[in-house]
Amino acid sequence: MIPTLFGVTVISFCIMQLAPGDPMLSQLSSQGAAGESSQTREAYLIQKRDLNLDKPLILNFRNFYDYRRDLKIAAYYRSLTEQQVAEDLARLSADPSDPEHAARLHFLRALDIEEFNERLHNPAKHARLAAAIRGFVQVYCEDIGSYGVPAAIQLLQDPTLDTSLKIGLIDCINYMVVEAHHPTYSRDPSDDETPLVTAVWRSWWQREQASFSALHPRRVEALQNELAAMVATTSREELYSQMERYDRGDVPFFAETLLGESTLREKVIASMLLNLYVARPLEMNVPHDAAAAKVNEVVENWLVHYEPRRKDYEKGLGGKLTAMFTDTQYAHMVWRLATFRFGRSALKTREPVSQKIWAAVIVSAPLMVMSEFVIYFVSIPLGITCAVNRGSWLDRLISFKLFFLYSVPPFVAAMLFLLFFCYGDYVKWFPMERLHSSGASEFGYLHYTMDYLWHCFLPVTCLSLFSLAALAMYSRTSMLDVIGQDYIRTARAKGVSRNRVIYKHALRNALIPILTLFANFLPAMLGGSVLIEYIFNIPGMGRLSWESIEQKDVPTLMALIYVQAIVVLVSILMTDIMYVFVDPRISFESQGKGQ
Amino acid sequence: MSQAAATSADLDAAAERARSEGYWDIVWRQFKKNAGAYWSLWLLVPLFMTAIFAPAIASNQPFIYVDGDQTLYPWFRAVLNPDQPVDYLFNMAMVGFFPWVVVAWLTNSRMKRRAVAGRRRVLNVVTQYLAIMAVLCILFLLNSGGGYWLRPVNKYWARSFATEDYEATQSGARIRSVYPPIPFGPIEIDLKARSKGPGYRKPADIQSDSNDRAIHWLGTDNTGRDVLTRMIYGARISMSVGFVAVGIYVTIGVFVGAIAGYFGGIVDMVISRLIEIVLLFPSFFLILTLVALIGPSIYVIMFVIGITSWATIARLTRGEVLKQRSIDYTVAAQALGSSHFRIIFRHILPNALSPALVSAPFGIASAIITEAGLSLLGFGVRPPAPSWGSILQQAHGNYNYWWLIVVPSLAMFLTVTIYNLVGSGLRDAMDPRLRI
Repeated sequence: MIPTLFGVTVISFCIMQLAPGDPMLSQLSSQGAAGESSQTREAYLIQKRDLNLDKPLILNFRNFYDYRRDLKIAAYYRSLTEQQVAEDLARLSADPSDPEHAARLHFLRALDIEEFNERLHNPAKHARLAAAIRGFVQVYCEDIGSYGVPAAIQLLQDPTLDTSLKIGLIDCINYMVVEAHHPTYSRDPSDDETPLVTAVWRSWWQREQASFSALHPRRVEALQNELAAMVATTSREELYSQMERYDRGDVPFFAETLLGESTLREKVIASMLLNLYVARPLEMNVPHDAAAAKVNEVVENWLVHYEPRRKDYEKGLGGKLTAMFTDTQYAHMVWRLATFRFGRSALKTREPVSQKIWAAVIVSAPLMVMSEFVIYFVSIPLGITCAVNRGSWLDRLISFKLFFLYSVPPFVAAMLFLLFFCYGDYVKWFPMERLHSSGASEFGYLHYTMDYLWHCFLPVTCLSLFSLAALAMYSRTSMLDVIGQDYIRTARAKGVSRNRVIYKHALRNALIPILTLFANFLPAMLGGSVLIEYIFNIPGMGRLSWESIEQKDVPTLMALIYVQAIVVLVSILMTDIMYVFVDPRISFESQGKGQ
Repeated sequence: MSQAAATSADLDAAAERARSEGYWDIVWRQFKKNAGAYWSLWLLVPLFMTAIFAPAIASNQPFIYVDGDQTLYPWFRAVLNPDQPVDYLFNMAMVGFFPWVVVAWLTNSRMKRRAVAGRRRVLNVVTQYLAIMAVLCILFLLNSGGGYWLRPVNKYWARSFATEDYEATQSGARIRSVYPPIPFGPIEIDLKARSKGPGYRKPADIQSDSNDRAIHWLGTDNTGRDVLTRMIYGARISMSVGFVAVGIYVTIGVFVGAIAGYFGGIVDMVISRLIEIVLLFPSFFLILTLVALIGPSIYVIMFVIGITSWATIARLTRGEVLKQRSIDYTVAAQALGSSHFRIIFRHILPNALSPALVSAPFGIASAIITEAGLSLLGFGVRPPAPSWGSILQQAHGNYNYWWLIVVPSLAMFLTVTIYNLVGSGLRDAMDPRLRI
């Protein structure tokens, strides 16, 4: 069971690796960094972090790597303008053997820019290449993410480093860290967050205290009362409307509340209020032409970010070794699948995948259940009738028809049904598509059910046809096998009536192998429903699979593959358990020994 | 008295047969008893003939085109230079057909004189055909490029002979041309005859790029391509997808299953787990996903069906090999010091192949269905190429054009029935226990 599940995750992972590569990189290489809007870029970055696509696949050695040298070069390129990068490219192509140039070339080659060498030696292409390099360096920073932060902080604290390099480095570190500060608490506040929140505001307060005038004690008293009232409020909307009433002059009170002795709830409200008036307490980025003082201030701000999180960034050897296996794309995927958190769809709607799948399942599941019922309730009696009347005209007729059904592909049957029964040129007995008439929600209960069944008829028929034929043929064989056994003859010889022998002695034994097929038909039906649901335009699992494949919605696709495999696994397990109940000769113990 | 004599003579004959008959003779005798299966096997012949001789039946390239003092042979150039490798292979089969008939007749009569068994003769002749095809493929591939007489470059690909014909008759010039019976190409678009029903013949006053004289026996699709022509060429794709995909996965399945069954132990455990895992995924959905992610094309479809469907075969073969391994002859072979490789492939596999072979015809049928389903969803062959599923796809959502549904449906149903009948006949013949 566990190894099987493990294998399922490995295969799902491999399939996902086939998905078309990095859309961002291809975008960059085709039109340089300039062409695309920052909004798509932001969305892409969030999605990338969501899916952990910036992590290595299976083993993560990034904690052991010293990023300082590479970061220096990255910072160098981020600190230059495109014009300057182009000039630098000219120098590189003129003298590639210079050790410094060689290091830079090595770094640039590792970025995997399309046709880099060829473009490097063609001065006409330098302008575009320079734009691409700036974009690729940004992607490089995004990819190394938090692994590069300790090295970057070390470099920033280095007093011998150039100011311009530091500016580039600050630019880089802004791409490495997604959300540098928590100016407010999260939705479920806890005491663990207090150091992070207070660190931000303390640093801000130290710098800005001078610009605020002290509050009148009466005002302080009033504010204290109002704060107590706000703490007591439970409704979020009320809280927000209350917050609207303060102005900038009241900020010192809240700052002191947050930084001083107070309860968690007070701190939460104080931080929210502060953030309302001061959107960005700490400046984390610098313009290209900033002065050294400004740069040092921002570096200080980054230290404010770094110090409380030092333990997370600087891992010990054990932490590094654990991260080697657990902080990878594969490990994250396994964890997400194991906890059934499939994330959000890659489409613009950003709908949660589990919600999408659930909406599809409640459409498909009734169809599946209905067709399973049809399959079992029609095919087994058919098979038994054939077996009991072996060789008669009835047997031949039914066998012939079953073989006929067996050869009709379900989707062909579906299209023929639609053509002859729905289109209207011949007879218009059934609706063309969907599972409900328009306005079905207004119908009465009975009417609604009848409408649903009317719409279901053809899809269920098409879903069942193939399996029905297969199962009927199988049950005929199985029944024939049992009827040929000695104990049936013995029972007949003892004078037991024919019907009793067939339905009491033979049938129960013949049903055992048929049960196993339950697990075999499920995957076939799950897959086959793609075509049926596509043809009948039913918004179920099959249609969802087709849509997510067509729209290249990788998270949904992965979840679908995984969920379907799990469903089949569970059904196999259920079959095994049913076996034990149906057949007393089999038990869990003997199965264990048999292995 | 006479009855008893007859019985003993029968018994003698039966005993004689039992001595001389091999396993495959018995299988063939059993197979012939099943009339449905036997005749389906014969029905495969016209199916293959249609696929192989598709250009001779339907093509918009004239065999001979006489324009004043100039005589052209565009059909021959087109046949030797098709766009798709699949078409190339089938065209080579067509080119090699008549030489093969001669060679086959000669060898067959010679072997007959030497009283070689019928089955051996058939095998020999089929092998000859494959060999001739292979030789032709290599010969013509080596001769490609300009300047070779064997494979002339198709310099008429941009010309529309039908239009020239039409214009010539309008202006009164005399042009003589000989077309195949159905003078339409599989991807020849005729925008003036869009979505016409079966039996449509264009009125003489409409001029277009297509042949005006001819009848569209099965109608046209929504870009005016002849449905019958596309069905004929689509048969090539269906046949080749079926055979290649099944060839791939039977090979993989037999190999993997034999290794698992023979070596047992940890190898068996790992492979069994792998089989279990592969079987967990819904096959059509898996194939659809892989084809869509790799990029739809007929070769990808063959490959993907091949690498996803081997698990059942491997499981069956493994069971059979397990059974064979414990029989004395394997132990004897081991005692003689044969290598594992030799024991598996020379001794065990010939006795353990039957489950894999039985499932092959069913596999071909289901591969054909899978390809059609993929084409219906839009992940099949690349659009202009003809395939049964892509004809169905054009009908989806537009049920006015019933012939676009009925024609490919019928073709698919017949093909699948034929393969299924052959499969069930083979199953009954090889393993009476499995008979349904």
